[in-house]
Amino acid sequence: MSDPVVAENLVKVYGGKVRAVDGVSFSVREGELFGFLGPNGAGKTTTVQMLTGNLRLTSGRALVAGLDVSVDPLTVKERIGLVFQESTADPDLTGRENLQLAAALFRVPLGSTKTTVNSLLERMQIGDAADRLVKTYSGGMRRRLELAVGIIHSPRALFLDEPTLGLDPQGRAGFWRYVQELRKDHGMTVFVTTHYLDEADTMCDRIAIIDHGKIVATGSPSELKDRLGGDIVTVRPTGATVPEGERLLGNLPNVVSVSSMDGSYRVKSPRGEELIPVLVEACTKAGIGLAGVSLKRPSLDEVFLEFTGREYREDEGLTATDRAVRIGQVQQAFGRARR
Amino acid sequence: MIRELGALTHRELLRLARNPQAIATSLLLPILYLILFGQAFDLGAALNQQQLLFVTRGAPTYFSYFAAGMVGFVAVTATLFIGANVIFDRLFGILKRTAASPATASSIFGSRLLAGMIQPVGLAFLVLGLAVLLGHLGLSGLQATAGLSVVGAAEIVLAILILSAMFASLFLAVGFSIEQPQSYFAVVNAINLPVLLTSAALFPWGLMPAWFQTVASYNPITIAVNVIRENLFASATAYYPYNAGEYLLGLLAWAIAMFVVATLLARRALAPQK
Repeated sequence: MSDPVVAENLVKVYGGKVRAVDGVSFSVREGELFGFLGPNGAGKTTTVQMLTGNLRLTSGRALVAGLDVSVDPLTVKERIGLVFQESTADPDLTGRENLQLAAALFRVPLGSTKTTVNSLLERMQIGDAADRLVKTYSGGMRRRLELAVGIIHSPRALFLDEPTLGLDPQGRAGFWRYVQELRKDHGMTVFVTTHYLDEADTMCDRIAIIDHGKIVATGSPSELKDRLGGDIVTVRPTGATVPEGERLLGNLPNVVSVSSMDGSYRVKSPRGEELIPVLVEACTKAGIGLAGVSLKRPSLDEVFLEFTGREYREDEGLTATDRAVRIGQVQQAFGRARR
Repeated sequence: MIRELGALTHRELLRLARNPQAIATSLLLPILYLILFGQAFDLGAALNQQQLLFVTRGAPTYFSYFAAGMVGFVAVTATLFIGANVIFDRLFGILKRTAASPATASSIFGSRLLAGMIQPVGLAFLVLGLAVLLGHLGLSGLQATAGLSVVGAAEIVLAILILSAMFASLFLAVGFSIEQPQSYFAVVNAINLPVLLTSAALFPWGLMPAWFQTVASYNPITIAVNVIRENLFASATAYYPYNAGEYLLGLLAWAIAMFVVATLLARRALAPQK
């Protein structure tokens, strides 16, 4: 059986000028949770819209659930689920009515509609609120309802477009718990776009990073982090960076590479902690004044920096501590939810 | 197709039923016209019986003539919300969700059209009932002088259904073409008033100049209310050049033309974006 999602050189040009997606190719394997990462405006949603038959391709080919999206978009829509980044449930209907409507639109057999709806309401923990109008639901409940709508017809592939946007860490962890359960129970293939790198790191089997409409890296989170060559030690000298400084640092033991970026030396090493005292001593001896030294473990933020040459945009203004707290919150909440 | 059409129509009707403000607003204008405008003219005081019947095309009083006109007008005010719902559904992402499902554009459009046809029938009979009731409250009231047959009642219902289909198509066409609610209501108001004022819903036919009669005779509201008046007033048939069945065909032609335009616009709006 072919891979459930195959993108071949997808291109989308808006108005003949804006190249939102520029030759994107990848494939998602059966049962895989594939993350599509990138900052806002990178081309994630445009790619999802093309793959799900809601946006015409300028060129290229998209094969989803075994069908060419450009040739048979309606059948593709029958075979896939799609959860949008914003709430699309009808606020003037109850949760149950929204699911019943979705069941009719996605051609769930009439005989099993009631059972399917009831089971999804329970599974998503909105059974108690099933007969309340959706406009009274919390953000988390709405997200879970969206997920229920997306999977009501047991699709072969589920597309999640920024599904946890705006949710608090607990809500995000809860949402991912349901997705993981679905994969476990149904072997569903999941394609998710997100700009939460920590989320992708924890959840995805493989990821692709898209920036300015182009894929800059693909692989499993650990493969991508391994490509960094270990820890990143950032050395900020009191003066400007100079080629001699790069040479000095490059000759130290366990240093994989050195580069200059934004007035600092970026030193890669498999054992960053051990390198720091050696590095400080070498700089002192060479008369290089140090304004600061920091250590970063390999993360997808670093992967993004490595492949795009700049910091991840969503994290601008966010300190390393903020990031650590945020990651910690998600991991903690996810751990709680799993327990 | 039938199942998704039914489910989407059910959703439209549920939303309408849960929005009493929309129903009240649909009724408000015709009711105000009935109570204020309709009561203001007592043509019987100025004309003899023969002249009055000529002016009102067989209706026993101006109010009776006018009330039948308001039944036609309610089809316009009630279907207005069907087009507005398209705009709001687009703003809230509901239209995007529906378009992302395997539902066909025909079902999505058809369900809104059906809902737009069903609601005005109920409201039209409420207006008719109110017009009769006013007569029992010491005001001018609707006097139906013809014994209403089953066929006659069916013709009235058909006239309201077809007129509603025509206006629902028109407002859906506007709703699928415009993105902002403000623009929608501006366009709709620019349509409503001229359509009402160039029809025979308000103005006594016999007092219109010939050119106005010509314009009004092609107005779909006039055609629909002609069907209603022919069935409600005993001596009406003598004043109308065509029978109710022929007027229904004329109205159907209007509805089909508007349906074709609206379908094309809806298909374009619901197709995958370019």
